[in-house]
Amino acid sequence: MDEFKKRYDGLVIGGGIAGMQAALDLAEQDYEVLLIEKDPSIGGVMIGLNKVFPTLDCSSCICTPRMAESVHHKNIKIQAYSEVTSIRRHDPGFKVTVRKKPRYVIEDKCIGCSQCELECPVDVPHEFDHGLGARRAIYIPHGNAIPQVATLDVDHCTFCGRCAKVCPTQCVDYTQEAEDVEVDVGAVIVTTGLNITPMDAKKEYGGGHLINVMNPLAMEAIQASNGPFGRPLRPSDGKVPRTIAYVQCAGSRDHTIGIPYCSRVCCMYALKQALLLRHYLHDVEITLYHMDIRAFGKGYEQFYRRVMNEGVNIVKGKVAKITEVENQDLLLRVERLDEGGRLEERRYDLVVLSQGLVPAWQGKGVLDIELGDDGFFKSISPKISPVLTSAEGIFVAGVAAGPKDIPDAIVEAGAAAMEAAIHLEGIGYREQVLTASQS
Amino acid sequence: MNDAQINQTTAESLSAAQNPKVREKRPIDILRERHGGMSPEMKEYYKEQTRIKQLLKEALARGAKTVPELARECGLEPSVTMWNLMAMRRYGKVVEEELRGEYYAYRLKEVK
Ligand SMILES: Cc1cc2nc3c(=O)[nH]c(=O)nc-3n(C[C@H](O)[C@H](O)[C@H](O)COP(=O)(O)OP(=O)(O)OC[C@H]3O[C@@H](n4cnc5c(N)ncnc54)[C@H](O)[C@@H]3O)c2cc1C
Repeated sequence: MDEFKKRYDGLVIGGGIAGMQAALDLAEQDYEVLLIEKDPSIGGVMIGLNKVFPTLDCSSCICTPRMAESVHHKNIKIQAYSEVTSIRRHDPGFKVTVRKKPRYVIEDKCIGCSQCELECPVDVPHEFDHGLGARRAIYIPHGNAIPQVATLDVDHCTFCGRCAKVCPTQCVDYTQEAEDVEVDVGAVIVTTGLNITPMDAKKEYGGGHLINVMNPLAMEAIQASNGPFGRPLRPSDGKVPRTIAYVQCAGSRDHTIGIPYCSRVCCMYALKQALLLRHYLHDVEITLYHMDIRAFGKGYEQFYRRVMNEGVNIVKGKVAKITEVENQDLLLRVERLDEGGRLEERRYDLVVLSQGLVPAWQGKGVLDIELGDDGFFKSISPKISPVLTSAEGIFVAGVAAGPKDIPDAIVEAGAAAMEAAIHLEGIGYREQVLTASQS
Repeated sequence: MNDAQINQTTAESLSAAQNPKVREKRPIDILRERHGGMSPEMKEYYKEQTRIKQLLKEALARGAKTVPELARECGLEPSVTMWNLMAMRRYGKVVEEELRGEYYAYRLKEVK
């Protein structure tokens, strides 16, 4: 891995699809970019999705080339498994401190052969599979990870030392420690994306304690053929589910949990998952309970029609309660809005909560920029240039600025890169830095 | 500590000081020390996991089984059985066999 330079034109925080796009769009204009990602691999949420609506293209087939392009671009330095710990204004730009977390593996020497992972004796719930699958204490996050290097999770290490013994390149380095690096940058683009509403937000849906009530990202994982079970199965006992319910607005449009806004993508991802489950599972019965369907994008309404035509039951109804019954099946109490509010109870093998999007990061103690009422980074010019924040030289794109789908995140990332370029030219960043280094 | 033990310890530390090979800490020991070793919870977790894997291996050695069958035979919770079985599958110890009613059966992978 090449060393850090002292100065970059742009800093991008967050290596999801928006961050990669912003970095590439700046780099293509010949600006030098530092991209910081907190996880061991770049790719964000998108690299964990199975297929994307409305085209049903394989998500990683679209995301992986972007990841490769970013990592190989001559003007981009990607630093994964690292965090920005401070950003101070330092004319003409910013002074930034980056903390590199120890992987206990020398990145340059690791060839991603997985020998260490295969040898490691302990299985740990894998974050990438939302805990449904296993990884080892030393692991490569997934087959498409970039960088393709191992990371040792020391909290789950048994300190047996076997990983170092089997490593063919002697790249395991148990003595590594966190390292702080200081760099100067001229502009910052924040693309830190989303988390989904916590599973325990709604007590009436089991508060995260019911094993067969799943979050939608976990459903993405089990739908993938390379996912934790190899096919969609129930986590409680491996049963092939015959009846599945989707509960819409399970973590958005709900004042009681402090998330009054619509998360925009939940209707579409639920429709997508329901359709795919109809393809993957023979004779499965799927019901999607909703308040109203919001199919807002290009081709989305047609997609909604297709899902209905392919046999998914779309029911206007509010799920009041989910209880676990015999065999860890789930009993849903539903108020049928389409039938004048009649209450009914129906039993399902599996339930997916269509949870909303919340900000993954709010910059506490690092970024001094305003947040909106919804908790996402606030745009000071939402109509004219939604990527502008309350701080000059700091821009925001993707879900960090508010819920949106992949195409919108990509478009916004391009706009943020353009605004950053205009800012860099406006302050004459390169010239100022050059003059300062000569004097 | 009695006198004999003290003498032995002193002799060990003296020889350690004279012999760089003894004195030098292994990198894994440095990591263990820095992190205070395995936590009691982690020790328990690892011990239990090893026990479960052994039970599953033994049960599967007697033939292919579904998760509920394995859980009954091993006296484990079905969800615990499922998680550990899928971990074994991921790391190539177990493979999926045919569908038996509503459940797939799994068997140990043959080692060639
Ligand atoms: C279940 C589900 C299914 C979906 N399906 C679709 C679909 O089919 N089609 C579609 O168009 N959209 C879909 N979406 C929406 C899509 O996931 C988002 O639009 C997209 O991921 C947004 O990209 P992003 O880069 O803004 O954020 P993210 O993908 O969240 O990426 C942000 C990155 O920033 C990193 N990060 C966070 N905090 C920090 C920090 N402090 N420092 C450094 N790095 C940090 C994160 O680790 C992550 O890598 C779906 C969403 C969900 C929840």
